[in-house]
Amino acid sequence: MTPTATRKPRRGGAAADLLLAVSLAALAVGATGCGDAGERRRDGPLSVVATTGMVADAAARIGAGRVRVVGLMGPGVDPHLYKASEGDVRRLQEADLVLYNGLHLEARMGEVLGHLGADRPTRDVASAVATDDLRAVPGFSGAHDPHIWFDVRLWRDAVVAVGEALAAVDPDGAAEYRRHLDAYRAELDSLDAWVRRRTATVPEPARVLATAHDAFGYFGRAYGFEIRALQGISTATEAGTRDVQDLAAFLADRRVPAVFVESSVPPRTVEALQAAVCARGHEVRIGGSLYSDALGDPDGPAATYVGMVRANVMTIVEALGGAKEAP
Amino acid sequence: MTHPDTRPAPAAPHTGAGLAVAVHDLTVAYRDKPVLWDVDLEVPPGLLLAVVGPNGAGKSTLLKAILGLVPAAAGQVLIHGEPLARARDRVGYVPQRGSVDWDFPTSALDVVTMGTYRRLGWVRRPGRREREAALSALERVGMAALADRQISQLSGGQQQRVFLARALVQDTDVTFMDEPFQGVDAVTERAIVDLLKDLRARGRTVVVVHHDLQTVPDYFDWVTLLNVRRIASGPVAEVFTEENLRLAYGGRVGFLERKADPTPAPGGRDDPATSHFGRIRP
Amino acid sequence: MSWDAVAAFWSDYTLRTVAAGAAVIGATAGVLGVFAQLRRQSLLGDAVSHAALPGIALVFLLTGSKEPAALVAGAAATGWLGALCVTGIVRSSRVPADSALGLVLSVFFGAGLMLLTWIQRRPDASQAGLDRFLFGQAATLLTADVATMAALGGGAVLVLVLLWKEFKLLSFDPAYAALLGLPVRRLDILLTGLLVAAVVAGLQAVGVVLMSAMLVAPAAAARQWTDRLAPMAALAALFGAAAGVGGAVASSLTARTPTGPAIVLAATAIVLVSLVLAPRRGLLAGAWRRWRRRRDLRLHAVLLDLHALAGQHGDPTAAPHAAAVLRAMAAGGSVRRSLRELAGRGWAADAGGDLWTITADGRGEAERFLAARAVDGRPEASP
Repeated sequence: MTPTATRKPRRGGAAADLLLAVSLAALAVGATGCGDAGERRRDGPLSVVATTGMVADAAARIGAGRVRVVGLMGPGVDPHLYKASEGDVRRLQEADLVLYNGLHLEARMGEVLGHLGADRPTRDVASAVATDDLRAVPGFSGAHDPHIWFDVRLWRDAVVAVGEALAAVDPDGAAEYRRHLDAYRAELDSLDAWVRRRTATVPEPARVLATAHDAFGYFGRAYGFEIRALQGISTATEAGTRDVQDLAAFLADRRVPAVFVESSVPPRTVEALQAAVCARGHEVRIGGSLYSDALGDPDGPAATYVGMVRANVMTIVEALGGAKEAP
Repeated sequence: MTHPDTRPAPAAPHTGAGLAVAVHDLTVAYRDKPVLWDVDLEVPPGLLLAVVGPNGAGKSTLLKAILGLVPAAAGQVLIHGEPLARARDRVGYVPQRGSVDWDFPTSALDVVTMGTYRRLGWVRRPGRREREAALSALERVGMAALADRQISQLSGGQQQRVFLARALVQDTDVTFMDEPFQGVDAVTERAIVDLLKDLRARGRTVVVVHHDLQTVPDYFDWVTLLNVRRIASGPVAEVFTEENLRLAYGGRVGFLERKADPTPAPGGRDDPATSHFGRIRP
Repeated sequence: MSWDAVAAFWSDYTLRTVAAGAAVIGATAGVLGVFAQLRRQSLLGDAVSHAALPGIALVFLLTGSKEPAALVAGAAATGWLGALCVTGIVRSSRVPADSALGLVLSVFFGAGLMLLTWIQRRPDASQAGLDRFLFGQAATLLTADVATMAALGGGAVLVLVLLWKEFKLLSFDPAYAALLGLPVRRLDILLTGLLVAAVVAGLQAVGVVLMSAMLVAPAAAARQWTDRLAPMAALAALFGAAAGVGGAVASSLTARTPTGPAIVLAATAIVLVSLVLAPRRGLLAGAWRRWRRRRDLRLHAVLLDLHALAGQHGDPTAAPHAAAVLRAMAAGGSVRRSLRELAGRGWAADAGGDLWTITADGRGEAERFLAARAVDGRPEASP
């Protein structure tokens, strides 16, 4: 019996053909998608894409019925680490106006936003804040702390940029935008006053805000709190053992009543800090979860900027021993 | 564990019953290329068999397929009448030297002790008895002095002898060896030949893949000529002929020198005068 | 540094917790890394940790839980699956092992990133920190975390010790193991599973990239110091633990020093020291041996020249020869230094005026040297 091959030798042919077909199809689909990015629809609401929830909220308030706002970063999303997806880029490219925080808060989207600025109307709200009002970051000359929304007065300035940008893109609605902007700024004024009243009730030795990362610098500066954090300005940094030890020692010495978890950073970090402080003999509580770099759930109290600020302040004040006043 | 020093005299060859190794229709293919095709092999117990053939003939594969180390497309293998799964205690293997990484952190004694792992079973560690068995196996191959040497510090021949000792410590009825004489020094070659003769004297069967046609009549009782298919198999005197060699080596035989009388003298397999062949160039 | 200061240093809760956790991970990864290295699967740990990402994301997607135990289970499941894919690809195709590793690593990791991106689009405020889970933060280990790591790692090492001889044989000669009747494939899967357990135990503390280093470095360092498997594994465990503790201490001495990278640096330092300083396999030892051999050869070359010259005269020890002659005959190197050394050993004598003779002892040494070279220990070629 002569040996005969029982199967035809398998070539890569069929698989290679399939791969080629799929690639060509993908190419075709991609090509058609880039067709009408330049057209702007004036019939119907303005399409505004915002990065953070705070910026989106401002755009929704000021634009009201004339705009349709889409926020890229939902509740609990960390803007320092957020990477734009393919869909995000498409949304950005089709928007009539792109709004973002600026000051490198959206650190991983810098390139995308930069390229967009070339042919789309884009505006960073931090541009409306005077440079003198910004906090410099120690050790990084020229860079500023981007968490400007924690000082309500600064945010009051920042939202002007939203109004200006909307008016520039849609001059017909300029008057309406102006009205909404003024109303919003008045609301922010009273919010700021409320925050000052509430935070004033926290006794002096307890005025320490310890969180996972250094987001609350403006809050501390505006309302008189000492800010301590494990990680730096950006959550991309990693805390070392010494950092945990130093902060734990400080909190134990000052007998700070509470430390705070952040909604966009894992709670483990702060839990470890708490354990370290307790090991030094001071029972520190976890005072609650603060909204640091994002808003809360859309059907909760912190779904808007104002709601978020109120929720944060109430959590802080109550945990640190301030008066429990009805909101 | 004691073993009888001598076995009952082996049965007469070719009677089918009592075969040490019985292979039937063994076929191995590698990516649609046949490496072994329809190979039959019947090895009576108590003799030394050489498997020869050109490069790529499937000699190593034959051993590995018999031992279940490569999957066979077809065929059956019986060791002393039983399938391999039931006959593992009766089968030993000396692989080619290149089959392991000799930089592995272990000593010669350690490697030989691995031959005792089967009888230890799961989890149990080798104890003094196993170490002593390993040491005496090393003595038999003349390596007792090097027992604690790390294996990469051994010469090629010494490494080969470690593998041999490992098979010896198993004390099996049938042993398969893959090119044990390849690249070893004269001392080692003598040691291996002595070992083979000793095994045969005890009634064991040894199947050896052999690369040197020159020494086949000197060392072995039987020979199997293989080139993907079995060309011939049987006593050296009958099978180791020019005709069969030409069939096996497929016309790649360069030239044949005849040194002595081409007709074989009876029973004279160790007599160089009756050796057919001088140098054969495959 | 007083004992009190040292005691105070070590009484700190954070340092003790971090050091303990790092030591556990280091020791476990060290031991299992030995077997990975011997089976040429060192980078499998890297593939496994990357493959763990989709598991974490899936667990969160399906259960909404961020419990470390649940996430670890998910990481282990996909990590193991990834490892099986690697061995499966290698076994059933022509793809070489390193390509299979890269393939599985990138595909799984990409899938994980996709899932994470999808998660971050959901309006769910509790999903923060899933990718932080993968990159780890050793400084914030909790006692509960250390307990989990110890349980996982300890369990893995226990199984390894129980089946020590089986895994040793499997790593050295899997064909022989199969012949002896060991279920090679299942043992292979088990060993890979232990590796996955070690990787996953350490992931939440030290992250993807670091874990791979902990599997590779201690084992590589240990190999330099010993030629036996059991001491190698013990040494690797020691080195791994030392790196862990060392990194924790270093991170605790200076601010803004992340603990994870400090541990890797400590492990790297151990490897470098081992590569250079190990007595037999180390670079320094090898260089010294080579230097000594060269010097020895030069010495004997001059001696043999003296011997040859002396052989041309009746009384070999009486006729002095000029060093210049010897220098002309020498292939290189300092003849004078060799001559002085020879004199020191009693094999040559200074006859004054830059003339040298060979002594009777020297003649004996020359003849012994020649005799040893005549019958060389090299294997003769087979006839």
